[in-house]
Amino acid sequence: MSAINTIPNAYASAEAKLLEAYQRDPMAFDELSTPEGAVRSRWQPVLEGFAAMGSGATRAAHDKAQRLLRENGVTFVPQGDGDSARPWRLDLFPLLIDPAEWSAIERGVIQRATLLNRLLLDLYGEQRVLKEKLLPPGLVFGNSQYLRPCKNIAVRDDLHLHFVAFDIARSTDGQWWVLSDRTQAPGGAGYALENRVVASQCLPELFAERNVRRLASFFRAFSERFLSLSNRDQPQAVFLSPGPSKQTYFEHAYLARYLGFSVVEGSDLTVRDDRVFMKTVEGLKPVDLIMRRISAELCDPLELRTDSLLGVPGLLQAARAGRVTIGNALGSGLVESDAFLAFLPSLAQLFLDEDLVMPSVATWWCGQEREREFVLKNLDRLVVRRIRNTRNLFTAGEGGLVTPSMPANERAQLIHEIQRNGYDFVCQEPASLSTAPTWSNANGLQAAPVTLRVYVAATDKGYQVMPGGLTRVAQGSDPRAPWLEAGDISKDTWVLSDQPVEQFSLLAQRQANLRLHRGGRELPSRMADSLFWLGRYTERAEGAVRLFRSLVIRLGGEMGSTRSLVSPERVVSMLIVQKHLSVRRGRRAMQEGREAVERELWTILFDPESRDGLATVLGNVRRNADAARERLSFDTFRILRDMTEVDKSSKLTLGHETDDALRLLNRLIQYLAAFNGMVAENMTHGHGWRFLDMGRRLERTRGMIQLLQQLAVRPEAPNDGQLDLLLELADSTITYRGRYHAAPQLPAVLDLLLCDETNPRSAVYQALTLADHIAHLPSPKDETIMTLDQRVVTRLTSELRLADATELGVTVGRFETRVELERLARRIDRDVLALSDHIAERFFSHSSARRVAGARRGEGAR
Amino acid sequence: MIYDVRHKTTFTYEDMVSVSHHVLHLMPRPHPRQTTIDTAVIVDPSPAVDSQGEDYFGNPVQYLTVQEPHERLVVDAHSRVEVRPTAVPFVLEAREKWEETRARLEMDSALEAYEFSFESPHIVGGDEVYDYARASFTPGRPILAATMDLTGRIFREFEYRGGVSDVSTPVSEVFAMRRGVCQDFAHLQIACLRSLGLAARYVSGYLLTRPPEGKEKLVGSDASHAWISVWAGRDGWVDFDPTNNLIPNVEHITVGWGRDYGDVSPINGFIVGGGAHQVTVAVDVSPLPGH
Repeated sequence: MSAINTIPNAYASAEAKLLEAYQRDPMAFDELSTPEGAVRSRWQPVLEGFAAMGSGATRAAHDKAQRLLRENGVTFVPQGDGDSARPWRLDLFPLLIDPAEWSAIERGVIQRATLLNRLLLDLYGEQRVLKEKLLPPGLVFGNSQYLRPCKNIAVRDDLHLHFVAFDIARSTDGQWWVLSDRTQAPGGAGYALENRVVASQCLPELFAERNVRRLASFFRAFSERFLSLSNRDQPQAVFLSPGPSKQTYFEHAYLARYLGFSVVEGSDLTVRDDRVFMKTVEGLKPVDLIMRRISAELCDPLELRTDSLLGVPGLLQAARAGRVTIGNALGSGLVESDAFLAFLPSLAQLFLDEDLVMPSVATWWCGQEREREFVLKNLDRLVVRRIRNTRNLFTAGEGGLVTPSMPANERAQLIHEIQRNGYDFVCQEPASLSTAPTWSNANGLQAAPVTLRVYVAATDKGYQVMPGGLTRVAQGSDPRAPWLEAGDISKDTWVLSDQPVEQFSLLAQRQANLRLHRGGRELPSRMADSLFWLGRYTERAEGAVRLFRSLVIRLGGEMGSTRSLVSPERVVSMLIVQKHLSVRRGRRAMQEGREAVERELWTILFDPESRDGLATVLGNVRRNADAARERLSFDTFRILRDMTEVDKSSKLTLGHETDDALRLLNRLIQYLAAFNGMVAENMTHGHGWRFLDMGRRLERTRGMIQLLQQLAVRPEAPNDGQLDLLLELADSTITYRGRYHAAPQLPAVLDLLLCDETNPRSAVYQALTLADHIAHLPSPKDETIMTLDQRVVTRLTSELRLADATELGVTVGRFETRVELERLARRIDRDVLALSDHIAERFFSHSSARRVAGARRGEGAR
Repeated sequence: MIYDVRHKTTFTYEDMVSVSHHVLHLMPRPHPRQTTIDTAVIVDPSPAVDSQGEDYFGNPVQYLTVQEPHERLVVDAHSRVEVRPTAVPFVLEAREKWEETRARLEMDSALEAYEFSFESPHIVGGDEVYDYARASFTPGRPILAATMDLTGRIFREFEYRGGVSDVSTPVSEVFAMRRGVCQDFAHLQIACLRSLGLAARYVSGYLLTRPPEGKEKLVGSDASHAWISVWAGRDGWVDFDPTNNLIPNVEHITVGWGRDYGDVSPINGFIVGGGAHQVTVAVDVSPLPGH
């Protein structure tokens, strides 16, 4: 380890302080300093910049970056399904790359993209390389990513690869090496883009002063080329994603929005007449281009993996018919197997008549005898991997070093497997990585090993490289193979330019040749479904929160003179009816008395494990918000995120009782109000908004009906506050008081809550709004016949308009039940549920395809 | 021999199916000993998309998309096929040693066969399969004699029993329970051969069955059958039937071949809607009188 000398300058002492703890590993190439310990010239201005900021401002900028990432909802799911999303972490110290060095990298990766594309054309076509023994056939035949049904499918403009990535690292001698080629569906470009947005916000001056090349034009060039691969003038392009629970969903939504594509899942698409269509609320809309983010073998269960739930049956047929372009073409994951790295130099000679510009880390494919022998002799110092194990963004795949400490039986088994099925194993020399300055608030500036992922896209000018990339700080504990665990801290990558950089954003460019129209992207059925349920659940949350608040106030005895206490029986019965409490638990609590009832209420509010408690209600909101995220503004999503995480941030725990409970509930009401405001004022009133609002109106009608059933069907005892509670829960207390200046009386209350078309809380208001939405939704071609949802909403509206509050208030029989009111409530509730079903049936049909197979084997054939 | 083969599959659904896609491997593929005289697949309701072609392995394949709502789908395949006997009876012992065949595989001319020496989705070998195979493949033994020996051992040591396995039962499980149907035995034998580095493929087809003495043959009582083919170097591909311990001749009708069942399953389909479904399959193999 050795320290760095700083060049004397205005900030010399501040710089020295910044570099106080910076210890470089003499064995590694250090990005910041020369072996002699001098700061490299490209770093000098940046270092000065940070020195000028001082450690206080650097810390603040660092914190701001993490906060922005959190606020922008930048997350990743470390290993897929089981894990929950984690915030993305960015180290503000960028990786700097000189113009000359960058053009060398560009040359290297463009050549590779070109070469791999040529190789794929051959492997899925003539297979000259196999026939002429230029490549061992086992490399292809033994690879599970060689998708046989894709052979001889013509790809448009001879492009298999539209968007690829390369993981590169710098070795001790300063040379960049390729660690791996990513040709399947490489991730991370969206994160790189977001890193840039955040870094430039947190270091505005530093960024502006340096001539850092911008990223937007790269994405524009990619999307222009990609969109040109269709036969139609206004092609529809989609991002095919495995869904929100998957690792990099954030990026799918982000990139799709950036490029103007729709995010879809497999079941949003369907194939008819060998064409791909998207299921939208306006029916089936043709899809011309698919940027896929799922592994190719999962894309069409009809011809590829039959157990895939993510794919589109018939997709391959559509591709064969030339009616859809898929990027990257199905089957292109074949050449990202590390085994190919060993053969690229000779393939470059063959296809390009060139030397391979950028070398790969030393690689041996165990399908060849000589290589296998070598590997078995050198097992302890090599990294061993099974080829069939797929890799994702954050891990390089299973496998790793066979250390001498490996248990003897495991080691013997591995050797046996390599001998038996050598073609499925690849071994590599552990890469040496360069180190770069990495900031942490705790330890200041440290040297840490980094890898860089660079992106190459097909454009009108051939392959082009994104001037930047995703730099990752390797977290691995084994210094011989650090990238295997390449971790979750990333850096922005600043490619410096000799010339002034272009300044524009992708959106600004688009506007240049924009035709005015008022639509937007097609609304996929699934998205409509999520928005509808987001509306229902936010409204349900609001009802629940209001109920909890009223009960807490009344139970706690914090009453003004205007409101009377509520009995524990009433609390329990309301909680049971609203399904927050089971009948059994409710009864038991009631027998045990008021304290037990209070305890149940606290459990509902604060216990994250309580079924149907507040946490569950908010969880439902969050799930749908995540799914509909692509259609919500950043601010709207942020409100929902903060709201659904309010329990985490407020650190409320069981036992804090009334004050905390009220603070929490009031905050939730504020969030909900903010959300409703956003929806009303900031969301364009297109189909998406209508579905969201319909969900809300439906749920509000149901809530109102439930309240009436509990608080108005049975007559109120004098002064028991039943009607006060009803008005409070219906958020109509002020309106009532303003109108009547008197204690609530039933007919007037009923009129206000059911029949008053001017009260935005009344049932009839909801029905009229629903009718208006439905009238504006796409209808079937034959407009003379009413659809079921139209029929039901018409009935609902007239029923409520014809209701007579005085008649409904009449009590009947010994128990003085308001029979008419009860009947009306039941009819309305039934209609509301039916309406929800009919809407779902007509607009949300995105059910997945299921497998059927007809086979009868063997019986009788002996 | 000339046969009329009928293979009728009926899917019955509880609810309406809005759209369905099917891939069919029902038309017999021609090969040196087999000619397809006539073949037709009748589908009801009639599909909006009905395209035919050759799959990766050269088998006839058919793609259907039914786009009208349906509660029942009938796929009725008829074929008239001529099967000719193997040229000369094999002298199993007089052929090349299996190690020679293996060495030959990696040579240029055998590229097509070489592909069948790797594991495939339904056929993953293991040590036990390898050890089992080695008992037949002793050093220097001629490949056809060794394969015949293996065929006989599977025939004798494994019990033919329906209902204990399904299309996804792995080889290791079949091996452990020592039971299964023709498809399982074919997969097992292929796994054995590939574990030795030899090339073997899965053959899907039909077998002529005879009713018990004095009884009428029942309509629809036949079934699809499966056996294997091993690449035997200079002898090319030679079929073996481990379910019946023989080398197929004129009573085996080939539909297609692939690496395993998954490449040539008769019907693979995906539907949207439908609820619970029921499948009935009827197969008839009738020799034409006078042939």
